[in-house]
Amino acid sequence: MKKLVSVVLCLLMVAAIVTIGKPAAAEDAQGKVFNIYAWNEEFKGFFEKYYTVPEGVTVNWIINPSDGGVYQQKLDEALLNQATAADDEKVDMFLAEADYIGKYVDSDYTMGIDKIGFANADTMYAYTIQAATDSNGVCKGVSFQCCPSALIYRRSIAKDVLGTDEPDEVQAKLDSWEKFEAVAADAKAKGYYMTASFAETYRAFSNNCTMPWVDAEKNLQFDPQIEAWIAQTEKFMENGYTLTAGIWDDEKNQQMFADGKTMCFFGPAWYFNFCMGNAQDPEKGCFGDWAICEGPMAHFWGGTWLLAAEGSDNTEMLKDIFETFTVNEDVCTKLVANEAQYPNNTVVVDKFANDASYGNAFLGGQNDILAFSKLAGNIKWENHTNYDQLLNENLQSNMQEYFKGSVDKDTALANFYQYVNETYPEIVTP
Amino acid sequence: MSLDNRGRRKSSISYAKWGYFFILPFFIVYILFTLVPQVLTIYNSFFTNYMDGLKHVGPEFVGLKNYVSLFTPNKQGSILILKYAGNTMLLWLLGAIPQFVIALLLAVFFTSYRLNIKGQGFFKTVIYMPNLIMASAFSMLFFTLFSKVGPVNQVLQQTGLADKAIDFFAYKGTVRGLIALMNFLMWFGNTTIVLMAGIMGIDQSLFEAATIDGANAVKVFFKVTLPLLMPIFVYCLITAMIGGIQMFDVPQVLTNRLGMPNRTSFTLVMYLNNYLSTSKNYGMSGAVSVIIFIITGILGGIVYRFLSAQYKDPVDKPRRARRAKKGEDK
Repeated sequence: MKKLVSVVLCLLMVAAIVTIGKPAAAEDAQGKVFNIYAWNEEFKGFFEKYYTVPEGVTVNWIINPSDGGVYQQKLDEALLNQATAADDEKVDMFLAEADYIGKYVDSDYTMGIDKIGFANADTMYAYTIQAATDSNGVCKGVSFQCCPSALIYRRSIAKDVLGTDEPDEVQAKLDSWEKFEAVAADAKAKGYYMTASFAETYRAFSNNCTMPWVDAEKNLQFDPQIEAWIAQTEKFMENGYTLTAGIWDDEKNQQMFADGKTMCFFGPAWYFNFCMGNAQDPEKGCFGDWAICEGPMAHFWGGTWLLAAEGSDNTEMLKDIFETFTVNEDVCTKLVANEAQYPNNTVVVDKFANDASYGNAFLGGQNDILAFSKLAGNIKWENHTNYDQLLNENLQSNMQEYFKGSVDKDTALANFYQYVNETYPEIVTP
Repeated sequence: MSLDNRGRRKSSISYAKWGYFFILPFFIVYILFTLVPQVLTIYNSFFTNYMDGLKHVGPEFVGLKNYVSLFTPNKQGSILILKYAGNTMLLWLLGAIPQFVIALLLAVFFTSYRLNIKGQGFFKTVIYMPNLIMASAFSMLFFTLFSKVGPVNQVLQQTGLADKAIDFFAYKGTVRGLIALMNFLMWFGNTTIVLMAGIMGIDQSLFEAATIDGANAVKVFFKVTLPLLMPIFVYCLITAMIGGIQMFDVPQVLTNRLGMPNRTSFTLVMYLNNYLSTSKNYGMSGAVSVIIFIITGILGGIVYRFLSAQYKDPVDKPRRARRAKKGEDK
C-alpha cells in the first residue's frame, strides 16, 4: 500500500514539473526575452548605447567566436532546435557575415522582414539588401553598415617613400598591382614593409573573383584571382616586402605603434575600431598618422547583417531594432560621429560627405565618409557561397605554411583540400 | 533479541542484494552515457550521415565505405589515418617517457625514509598544480609565450641568443617538443602522486630487509620497489596511454587546429573533430572513433601482457605459502 502511495506521489510530482514548464501564451503577446546570437561584442556595444530596450524585456547575448566556424556551429544547433524550444529560449535575432549569410537567408530559419512589418528604405545600399534576400525575393534582414574596403596607409611612411601623403596623389601611385609592387620595392629599400601580413591583400583579390568557390555541382574552383594573390605573396615573401603574420596576429598589430615599419593595411570603416586599437590610442604615438585611398583594386570586406529568426515572438522589437540601425538618421549620425562606422544610410552618408567641416582626426582630418562613399556605389554582390568563411580562413592558414617555407606549394594545397574534404563532405576537391 | 530470533528461524538473511543496489547507479550511468553512445557510434559508422549547412544528408546505409575511404591512400600516396595515429603515439611517447622517469624518481625520493624530505606537502602541491589548469588555457599560455612577438623571443633576442625572432611554430621539432613538454608538465605530478601511493603500500620491512642484506639504493629500486609497484605502474601507464591516444586540446589550441607544420602534430582526435565540428559527419567520425577504440584496445592489451608477464608478483607465493601453513597449524 505504502509503495503504491509513494509511486502515485512521485508521478504527481513529475506531472506537476512538466505542466509548470509550459506556460500558456496568448496569441499576439510579445515575448519578454530577446535572444541575440553574435560572434563578438561589436554590435552589442552599439546596441546598448543607441537602442532603448522596451520595458520588461530582457536581452540575452549569446556570443561565440567566429574563428574556425564555432559561431556557425552554435547558431545552427540553436536554429535546428528552434521549432521545439520554449518561446523564451528561441533565437529572436542573429548576426551574420557576408561570408556565410546565404546559408541562413536561403533557409526556413529566417523570417521575411515583411512579416515583422518592416520595409527596406531607398537610403540603404542595394548590395546589403541583395545579400539578405533569398532566391524567392524575400528579404530576411538588414545591415547596419556598408563595407567598402580601402587602402589604409601610414602618412609619415608614405611621405618618406612616395614623397607625399595626400590621398589623391598616393592613390595615383598605387592604383594598380604593378605600381603597388614597385612601391613595395621602394619601401623595402628605405627599411619599411609594404604590408604586415601575408594575407593583407587577400580580400582585395578574393572579392574580385569571377567565379564562386564552389560551382553548381559542388566542385571546388580555384579562381585566377586567388592564383594571383598566391603569386603576389610569393614575391612579397621572397623579397621581404611583408611580414609573415596572419591578418589577426599580434605581430601585425604591433606594427600599429609609433615605431611600426609597415606602410599599408587594407580594411573598411569597421577596421579602425576593430583592428587598429593600437593606432587609435594617442599614447601609442601614431594617432592621426593615417589616411585612406582606394588602392589597387576596389573591393569590400565583411559586414554584419541582422537577421530575423523564424519563430521569434518579439516581432515588434525586431522591427524597432532594424529601424534604429538603418533608417534612424539620428542613430546613424552617431554611428559615424562617435563610432567611426560607415552607416547603411545614404542620407547620413551624404550629409557627412558634403560637410566641409567634418574630418576624422584618426585619419589626420581626412573625410573618410567621402572617400568610402566613392567606393560604396561600386560594390557588387556576386559569387558568394555558404562555404566562404572556412574556405577563405583555411586557404590562408594552409598557404601560410607554404609562404613560411615549411612545405611546398603542392603539399599546402593538398592539406587545404584535405581540410575541405573533412569539413564539407559534399564538396568535390580537385 | 526478537530480531535475532527471527534471523535464526530463517536460518540466513542475505544482505548481498544490497550490494547490487549500491552499484546500480554506476551501471545505469555507464549504460546511458558510455555503452549506448559507444554502440551508437559503431552503428553510425556504417552510415552516410551529415549536415550540409542546415540540411540533413542521410542517414543512408553504406556498409564499410567510411572505413574503406579512411584507409584509401590519398593522391600523395599516404594513408592519413595511419600518419595521424603515428603522430599521436609519437607526441604521447615524447611526453610520457620523461613523465614516467621523473615521476618514478620523485615518488621514490618522496617515500624514502632515509632521505626524509621536508616540506613534502608543498612540493606535492606544486608539482600537481599544472594539472589543475585547463589544458586549453595552458596551451593558449604557451602559444602566447612562444609566439614571434612573445616573451620567449624577446628574452632570446635581448640576451643575444637569437638575432631575429624564431618562429617556433614553423618547425615540427619545436611544435612537437612544446606539446610533449606541456603534456609532461601537466601529468608528471599526477603520476608521482599515484606512484607514491603505490610505493607506500609496499611493506617497509621488505626495504629494510633488502638494505640489511646489503642491497644499494639502485638495487632496492629495481629488485624490490619496481616489481612490487608493477600493478600500479601498469595501471598508470595504460590510463596515460588511453589519455595520450585521445590527445586533443593541447595540440588543437597550440597549433590553432592545424597541427602545423604540414599536419605533423595533427592527432587522431583532431582528425575526428574536423569531421564532426562543422558538418556533424557522424558516419566518418564514427569510423575514426571505432578505429581509435580498436587501437586503444590492442595497445592496452599489449602493454598489460608484456609488463605483467615480466613481473609476476613475487610476494604472492611466500604469502600464500605462509597462509597455508597457518591453516595447518589450526
